[in-house]
Amino acid sequence: MFPLLSAVLATLAVGTVATFVAGNRARWVALATSVAFLAEVGFLFLSYPGWPGYNGALVPGFADSESYSWISLSWMHINYTVGVDGISLVMILLTAVLQLATVVYSWAETNRPAGYFGLVLLTCLGCFGVFIALDVLLFFLFWEAVLVPMFFLIGYWGGPQRRYAAIKFFVYTHVASIVMLVGLLALVFYSGASSFDFSAIYASARGLTVVVQAFLFLALFFGFGVKFPIVPFHTWLPDAHVEAPTGGSVLLAGLLLKLGAYGLIRWAVEVLPSGLHTVQPVVYVVAFVSIIWGSVLSLSQRDLKRLVAYSSINHMGIVLLAIALDSSLGLLAAVLLMFAHGIVSALLFMTSGSMHHTFGTRDIPTVGGITPTTPELSTFIMVGSLASLGLPALISFPAEFTALLATWNTLAYWVFVPLIILVVTAAFYLWMMQRLLFGPPKAIPTAAHDVPWYEGTGMAILVALTVLFGILPGLLVNVIMSSPIKGFPGT
Amino acid sequence: MDFSQFAGPFLPELLLLAGTLVIFLLDVLGLRRTEVTGGVAVGATAFALLFVVADLGFAPLAALATVPSSQADVVVGAGATPLYSFTSLGFVFQGIFLLSSLLVALASTSRPSNERGAPIFYGLLLLATLGMLLAAIASDLIFLLLAIELVSISTYLLVGYTRRDVRSLEAAMKFYIIGALSTVLSFFGASLLFGAYGTTNLYALRALAGAGSFPVLVLLGYGFLIAGLAFKATLVPFHAWAVDVYDGAPTDVTAFLSTGSKKVGIFAFFLVFLGPVLVTMPGAGSSPFSSGSVDLGPVLQLTLSVLAVVTMTVGNVLALLQKEMKRMLAYSSISQAGYMLIGIAIGSSPALAGATLQMFAHVFMKGGAFLVVAGVAGLGVGPLIDDWKGLGVRRPLLGVAFGLMLLSLAGVPLTIGFVSKFVLFSAAVQAKGYFVWLAVAGLLNSALSVFYYARVLKVMYFDRPAPATLPAGAVVGGSDPPVLPAGGLGYGRALAIAIAAVVIVAIGIYPQPVLGAIQAAAQHFVNVGA
Repeated sequence: MFPLLSAVLATLAVGTVATFVAGNRARWVALATSVAFLAEVGFLFLSYPGWPGYNGALVPGFADSESYSWISLSWMHINYTVGVDGISLVMILLTAVLQLATVVYSWAETNRPAGYFGLVLLTCLGCFGVFIALDVLLFFLFWEAVLVPMFFLIGYWGGPQRRYAAIKFFVYTHVASIVMLVGLLALVFYSGASSFDFSAIYASARGLTVVVQAFLFLALFFGFGVKFPIVPFHTWLPDAHVEAPTGGSVLLAGLLLKLGAYGLIRWAVEVLPSGLHTVQPVVYVVAFVSIIWGSVLSLSQRDLKRLVAYSSINHMGIVLLAIALDSSLGLLAAVLLMFAHGIVSALLFMTSGSMHHTFGTRDIPTVGGITPTTPELSTFIMVGSLASLGLPALISFPAEFTALLATWNTLAYWVFVPLIILVVTAAFYLWMMQRLLFGPPKAIPTAAHDVPWYEGTGMAILVALTVLFGILPGLLVNVIMSSPIKGFPGT
Repeated sequence: MDFSQFAGPFLPELLLLAGTLVIFLLDVLGLRRTEVTGGVAVGATAFALLFVVADLGFAPLAALATVPSSQADVVVGAGATPLYSFTSLGFVFQGIFLLSSLLVALASTSRPSNERGAPIFYGLLLLATLGMLLAAIASDLIFLLLAIELVSISTYLLVGYTRRDVRSLEAAMKFYIIGALSTVLSFFGASLLFGAYGTTNLYALRALAGAGSFPVLVLLGYGFLIAGLAFKATLVPFHAWAVDVYDGAPTDVTAFLSTGSKKVGIFAFFLVFLGPVLVTMPGAGSSPFSSGSVDLGPVLQLTLSVLAVVTMTVGNVLALLQKEMKRMLAYSSISQAGYMLIGIAIGSSPALAGATLQMFAHVFMKGGAFLVVAGVAGLGVGPLIDDWKGLGVRRPLLGVAFGLMLLSLAGVPLTIGFVSKFVLFSAAVQAKGYFVWLAVAGLLNSALSVFYYARVLKVMYFDRPAPATLPAGAVVGGSDPPVLPAGGLGYGRALAIAIAAVVIVAIGIYPQPVLGAIQAAAQHFVNVGA
């Protein structure tokens, strides 16, 4: 069978290297790579086999799987194993879309464009790798490969506090990945798995005692949780977001936060069911605290970018809650939310970047009533905000509705915690739009111009997806539900 | 037994001895040019390396094997007390030692061809390597310590061989005094063990480990041995001499000290302490002090674990504070010894394989780095890290090679340094129990080490050089060679650096050939004595 996933990986790798050495033509190479990547992902989607009944996969339950021996010792068997199920496929689609949108949005980057676009592509390459890796070492390699380019994106192209933000980001996430690595190694060796492959670990981890599972789950929960981020390990996020260049923020919010959630689902929830069951109360508490605290912090911000950054903590808290429910509906909601938040937060970060370019500030009270001056920008801000607060027919609505339904199914009246928070946040967003978009115009520089075509195109791509999947969420749901996990029919 | 039967297995050693004698003879005859003596040294080590690789069972070279497979990895029977024995792990280490001196010899051929002392340098290099090869096959404590002594005396002289530079002479003197002290401690420990057990044979000691009714004598004996060998292996708190000596020695010699002669100390740890540890692997152990006899395993494992963590941490923290390139590399070399010690503390065959791979990697990443430093000193770059400003841009190839070595030292994926640490820490987790915390400590330490390696990369690539880097009247490079033709480095050095860089990446991406051989050797080693 044609090694499809390796071919995509090779496309990205070649494109990334070519971008780094392309000098002033880097953006064209990056654009070509992104279009090719998106086309290949589209092909992956179309050729994805229907479940159940598909059994041609090398790794059970995963389509397009490939496996080659890499390191083979008497006590350690590491393979290059890749494959996709519905969850990874949705995440890969997100990666491809965000890469294209970021490249287009940043078209006018003049500060060392080769380095900038190369690092953007490298980040996406790492994320793609994380989503397809089915081997502990391979997963870890890609996981770390995301960290380094993002460090440089923040540290070189970032705002005034970029050095501090970059180092804080690096230290937090690197210490977390160390704990994650030890957790994964312990998972392999304590379970006595025959190899570092996901399928081998999946098969043997069930034999672990409940106590061991619980400890392993906690280690992995911490390791993945810092990327979420969970309160109280969230403080790297606002700094990193605010200092990062817009493209960096888009990838951070859209993709990097999803890595934590994806890792938790793939390597902890699926593999250690008793572990999750034992420490479920802890995860619930963390999720509720993240939801409430993220929303409180976001309500108190004046800076549009900071506001979006803190609301990410709130949204990822809902993702964590959905995962912790340990039900098939919850998992479906979690993946839908991850996709929706990836698109919507990316859109909002782009609008805040454009606002900064146009008005020289992101301070909401300073500028007001921008609609007459910049109608396009205010349209994008409006779509993003409405999507973020969960307006029906936009992408977040089906995701949040499923999450609330799943919470009600499992936790009954506790559903009022996220529900009330959602209502309050919605009200706040409306108030923000009222002041920023429709209020009396204040302090608008005469030189203010509307968004340039490339920024508009980047945002328009995301708006199109927001509407498309808002109206037809079934396109995603069918793919996700085909994954062979927890109550999904593929099992 | 005729001579060829006896001498055959020792062909690599005899080659080195012959090389030494030829070089000294050439010196007497007046053929002192660096190219001539260096060529002899490179040839002798290269051929010895071929034979050793053949002995390891590398199929294409099978015809060159000097040790019949019936004589290698023989399980020693009870009561047998051989002076030496051929083990696969010994061959692996012989290979590591030979690679180290081959790289150094190759790079040193780029020194000025009329340099005084070249024959002395190469002769002593081969002699020290001979001592290392002998140490790798030792199976008796006295044989081992004498072999180490041969290495030590040769390296004392190597450090001061230029006889011009005051700092080198001071370093040689310091090295000699500390070395003599450590030798005394090791021999004293060996004599205490002889008093307790009546033997110095390592297999006999392994079989007896902890038995007998002299617990204090045994503990003291092993304690003195740890102290004596820890000086050689630069473990904290026996490390203080190493930085001054590494800093003061000619940098090519430093490369050899850090990647070659120090490894002998670590290998001695393998031979001496693994016996007792393996006899009481985790799970089989009881309380450390039961009546009359000592269960040495847990005591030794705890001691070595603590030493490992302290060595890693102190080495890394002090490396963070250094402003001079050589001193920074020297401290990082100390912390690397801590990683290797983890393998000995755990004592399982995976952990041994990890530690051995770490030593193999160290030859290329740290040895290569010192060779670059030596070459760069010849280009007129000063000793401070800040003197390297912009070097990565001015000399792209050299910059990439040095960058790879630093990334490998920091344990960045797809380099050999990552693979060795990954295997080592996997083995620590695999051993379970408190060894998992050794893995955590090691990983946190590698996270810490990223900072000082990354700082050098930042200086090399992002900082702009000051206009005039050389003060008037400065002695270019100190005891290192002045400016040379061929891109300024010389062909030999450029080749050695290129080999190191290629190995770092190649084995980093596909480690199976080397790792498989090392794992098999470690497995044999554990089986032979148990």
